[in-house]
Amino acid sequence: MEMVAEQPKSACRGAEAVLNLQPTSSVSIAYHSLFGPHDDLILLELDEKLLPDVLHHRVTLRGQPDEDAVLCTMSKTYAVKFVGTSNSVLLIPPSEQLVLCGNTQDCDEKDRVEKLVAPVIKVAPGVMELVEVAPRIDRLKMLLSENPYRFDDALMSEELDEMEKNNTRLYSWSDLNDRVQASNDELRSGLQALSAVEIDGYWRIVDENYMDGILNMLLHNLVLNDWSLNGLNETEVIGVLQSDGFPCEIAQHCLQVYGSKTDDGVWKLDEKQVCVHFARAILRGGKMRMDNFMVEWMRKIPEGMQASYDMLEGEVLTDKIGIETWVYAFDVSSLPSAPAERFSMLFRERPKWEWNDLQPYIRDLSVPGLSSEGLLLKYTRRTQPTPDAEPVFSAR
Amino acid sequence: MQIQVKCNCGEQNCPEWAIVELQGVIEPQPAFQDRLQNLEIGQLCRASSQTYTFTVGYHELTGSKVPLKKPLLVLKKIRHADEEKVELEVIGIIRQRILFKTRPKALISRSQPGTKERVSAPGSLVPK
Repeated sequence: MEMVAEQPKSACRGAEAVLNLQPTSSVSIAYHSLFGPHDDLILLELDEKLLPDVLHHRVTLRGQPDEDAVLCTMSKTYAVKFVGTSNSVLLIPPSEQLVLCGNTQDCDEKDRVEKLVAPVIKVAPGVMELVEVAPRIDRLKMLLSENPYRFDDALMSEELDEMEKNNTRLYSWSDLNDRVQASNDELRSGLQALSAVEIDGYWRIVDENYMDGILNMLLHNLVLNDWSLNGLNETEVIGVLQSDGFPCEIAQHCLQVYGSKTDDGVWKLDEKQVCVHFARAILRGGKMRMDNFMVEWMRKIPEGMQASYDMLEGEVLTDKIGIETWVYAFDVSSLPSAPAERFSMLFRERPKWEWNDLQPYIRDLSVPGLSSEGLLLKYTRRTQPTPDAEPVFSAR
Repeated sequence: MQIQVKCNCGEQNCPEWAIVELQGVIEPQPAFQDRLQNLEIGQLCRASSQTYTFTVGYHELTGSKVPLKKPLLVLKKIRHADEEKVELEVIGIIRQRILFKTRPKALISRSQPGTKERVSAPGSLVPK
């Protein structure tokens, strides 16, 4: 009796009938009543460890229509690649989804009542695979450089209405998500690396001259008010800078860029950040003789701070012309982050690099699955005239 | 542009789909070429605990159930009619497949048509 009652249920089963098939029993594999190409059904292969991210809605695909899509978790970026197969991969949905796929008649058909049927909805031509990649973060710099925050912005911010803001090229966090192929964490650290700041809901980089102005004003006030380099009171500093005409967000940003908050809740100016800032400002005028540059630089450094040439690793390069050494700005942060383009720029700058010079310009490169030795092997030719000589790297 | 990957099933309840994979192509007889819907492909039989056979026409394949190294998610592209927005929804997961990687073995033909169920019985003939 029970057998009879259960018969109709077991008559129509999909994936379960295949997966739970008992020894010495069989199931009929048939084309689904809606069998077809079903291009809207995609198979995505992924690591077990990424499953929770996907199942809890923490994953998005990002990219412009003309770009290859990437899949982003909260912290990482993956390229999505289609890998085809010449095998016939018959895709069988579970029974609960047969209805979902529109197939109800199988159960009613009299000739199927007696046996198990697993309907094939499509033959999958292949699967999408994920490969971890470096975020495509250069785009971020390009977007934010379109319209840096300048002195004019500070004056006009009150008058700009929403309409005007939409017309100028300004990007909110979600605009950047739409345009930059990077995970949220990577985007956040990219913004930090660019010293970007969120002003009125839009992410901006601040014009160098404007930053120079506010830092000089801060240092000026430091002397005037007899503040300590290591014990700046946030409210006091911001209050004074605001009365000098700088917006509150920019004053706050200035502390963040050139200082760090200590455990005691006061701000401490970062010696290296401040010194590097002045070196950059001086060299913006062009190449200088080393001795002249050093004199000028030391003159700019605020009292209580100590500049050293080591701070300029990855910021400047030197040239020997005759007996004179010249120094010029060559900033690692102005270089592309994709390795092929980075090396091409480096070898355009100089055909041959010694390791000590090269290292600051490549140490930030990260390619998932490739070590820094691997990078050098791939993009450079290493020559060593004698065994004890320094190796020299040139383009491959 | 962003496409949100959605999932309504939750971690524990993601419905499991099945894959039957074989080398080469299944070729229906020309008469059925344009109306494959509901057509039987063949009989899948679990001959013993390890061995599966798949009988398609007069050919028999021998294979086994293999867990996938990495799971596959079944995603469905959902296009919202009113706007350009596209979403992907996870509708299933695949963790194992019945894989036939051997060349098919020819079965001695039977005279009576329409008795495919019985044809599949030879699965028990030579389980390796």
